[in-house]
Amino acid sequence: MSFWRLALRNLTQRKVRTGLTVLSIAVAVAVLYTLLSFNKGYSASLEQQLQQMGVHILVVPPGCPFEAASLLLKGGKPPTYLKESVVREIAATPGIQIAAPGFMSAIMHDDRTDIYYGMDQRTITLKNWWTLKAGGKWFTDDQTDGVVLGSDAAVTELVINEQTDPFAPGEELWVPELNRPLKILGILEPTGTQDDGFFYVPMTVAQQIFQQPGKVTTVAIRLEDPAQAGVIGTQLEKLEGVEVITMSELLGTQQRMMESAKLLVFAIVFIAIAISAIGVLNTVLMSVFERTREIGVMRATGAGKQHIFSLIWLETLLMTAIGGVIGLGVAIVGSGLMERAVVAGLASVKFMTMSEHSQLATFDPRIVVMTLLFVLGIGLVAGVYPAIRASRQEPIEALRTE
Amino acid sequence: MTEPAFDVQLSLVAEAAGMGKIYRRGAEEIHALREISVAFAPGEFTCVLGPSGAGKTTLLNLLGVMDVPTSGALRVAGTTIADAGRVRLAEGGRDRLRRENIGFIFTEFFLLPTLTAVENVQLPLLWAEKDDHSYAVELLERVGLGHRLTHRPTEMSGGEMQRVAIARALINRPRLLLADEPTGNVDTKTRDGIFDLFRELNADGLTIVLATHDGELAARIDRVIHLREGRIVEGA
Repeated sequence: MSFWRLALRNLTQRKVRTGLTVLSIAVAVAVLYTLLSFNKGYSASLEQQLQQMGVHILVVPPGCPFEAASLLLKGGKPPTYLKESVVREIAATPGIQIAAPGFMSAIMHDDRTDIYYGMDQRTITLKNWWTLKAGGKWFTDDQTDGVVLGSDAAVTELVINEQTDPFAPGEELWVPELNRPLKILGILEPTGTQDDGFFYVPMTVAQQIFQQPGKVTTVAIRLEDPAQAGVIGTQLEKLEGVEVITMSELLGTQQRMMESAKLLVFAIVFIAIAISAIGVLNTVLMSVFERTREIGVMRATGAGKQHIFSLIWLETLLMTAIGGVIGLGVAIVGSGLMERAVVAGLASVKFMTMSEHSQLATFDPRIVVMTLLFVLGIGLVAGVYPAIRASRQEPIEALRTE
Repeated sequence: MTEPAFDVQLSLVAEAAGMGKIYRRGAEEIHALREISVAFAPGEFTCVLGPSGAGKTTLLNLLGVMDVPTSGALRVAGTTIADAGRVRLAEGGRDRLRRENIGFIFTEFFLLPTLTAVENVQLPLLWAEKDDHSYAVELLERVGLGHRLTHRPTEMSGGEMQRVAIARALINRPRLLLADEPTGNVDTKTRDGIFDLFRELNADGLTIVLATHDGELAARIDRVIHLREGRIVEGA
């Protein structure tokens, strides 16, 4: 016989009640774990995406940098443009390795948005991790009839064209804005970023689609030394009609945008946890009242107050620990499912998913330990009052209880 | 300094001198015991006889250090519990004294329903941070329940449950066994079986104090103390 065994036996005395309490803890823990890992996954994903861009500074038209950041990540129609000539000025600035102009804009349809990205060889050089599916090739700078599809964009087009076979290079894509077809030259392998959703066209073609000759929407800059981002950024700000955003600023902006949504979500989770903690307290307290006579017997057979306190506290801890482990197991195994459920259920966090291929809820042992410690903390706190109540019962009074 | 109210006889298992117990319920005072002076020598088998409300259970609770007197003196297993109405041993000390020296048996057995017979017997050892499974088995065999080790209380008869409770009271090798109406919840045949067991234990040298209102049972015990309205009226 040990305290552990006795505590476990006591918990099985009221199986349904104990089971329901354990379940409530498990649900709260599963949601807490999922949100913590989701949050971490999101931050990591954001950072990874910004790093994957291989870009240290972005030059955009003047305006709200928040809007620019949002457009950069999700695509959209920019309100103003940069003159193409500014690209040469930027490229001439010392310390810049690549300055790749881009023309990104969107055509809104009723059921979808087509995002075009006009570019030249410099973007391909910048994004050297891009690979095309077998049989594909990139357009040349002087080509005016080619398009490369992002992997998601290729699927979207399939559905729109009621086609079941995947697009193959050589097939044509009709562009109403040009009143002519573009030849599909290749399809990008999935990148897990927003890049998967774009139509890549030569710069002149994009300018033609949106009737903005000689204009670009962004200049992505890779520096020879990323540490110089601040200094070079200040220099670039002196150019006329530009807004300079360094990647560290952009990351900070994105994180700030997330804070309020995160606060709301975590507030809900903590309320759920508080409710389950009160449930635990109530269950243990009821069990203490019901077992008053048993506690009296324990005292009569030599148990001190500290023994009764430890036993009741241990029961609470065991119950929360079992709930915690079950909740964590379910959350880890079903994190993918839960991620989809949370994203679908909470519009406020919907914009966090950048691509169908990105996995936000990531497994992290530190989050597992943190969640477990948290739930054990709840058990420790919730168990104190019932344990004190139990240990304070006078043995002869307890034995007299019916 | 207050003189001890009794002659210290270290050989005595328990000794009360002028001991009283008053319970307070609001403004009301209930005198459960008045001026009790009694001593229990090692190996004695004593019956505390009296009608309901005479103070039998209160006396056993005091002797078992589950409660403390409000007046007089009490000494159990060589330790002064109270002297001149003042408690001399703190609660932790009383718990330890009970754990090491006292065995309790109740009318309603009070076995823990989630534990098996052998686990119920071992329960008092848990508080002493000891584990002696083989002795628990030996005791259950001695009370005739060697075949019921892993049965739970719900699977046993009243007589069997009381035997488990007796084995539990013996697990700490007590100096004093206190039995409060131990046969109150069993039939006559079972009662006789249990009484015979007490006789055997006493023959082995165990000091037993048994409280009952059953005159027939009391007649079989050598020493009988008659309690009425909280006073010893015969046999002190």
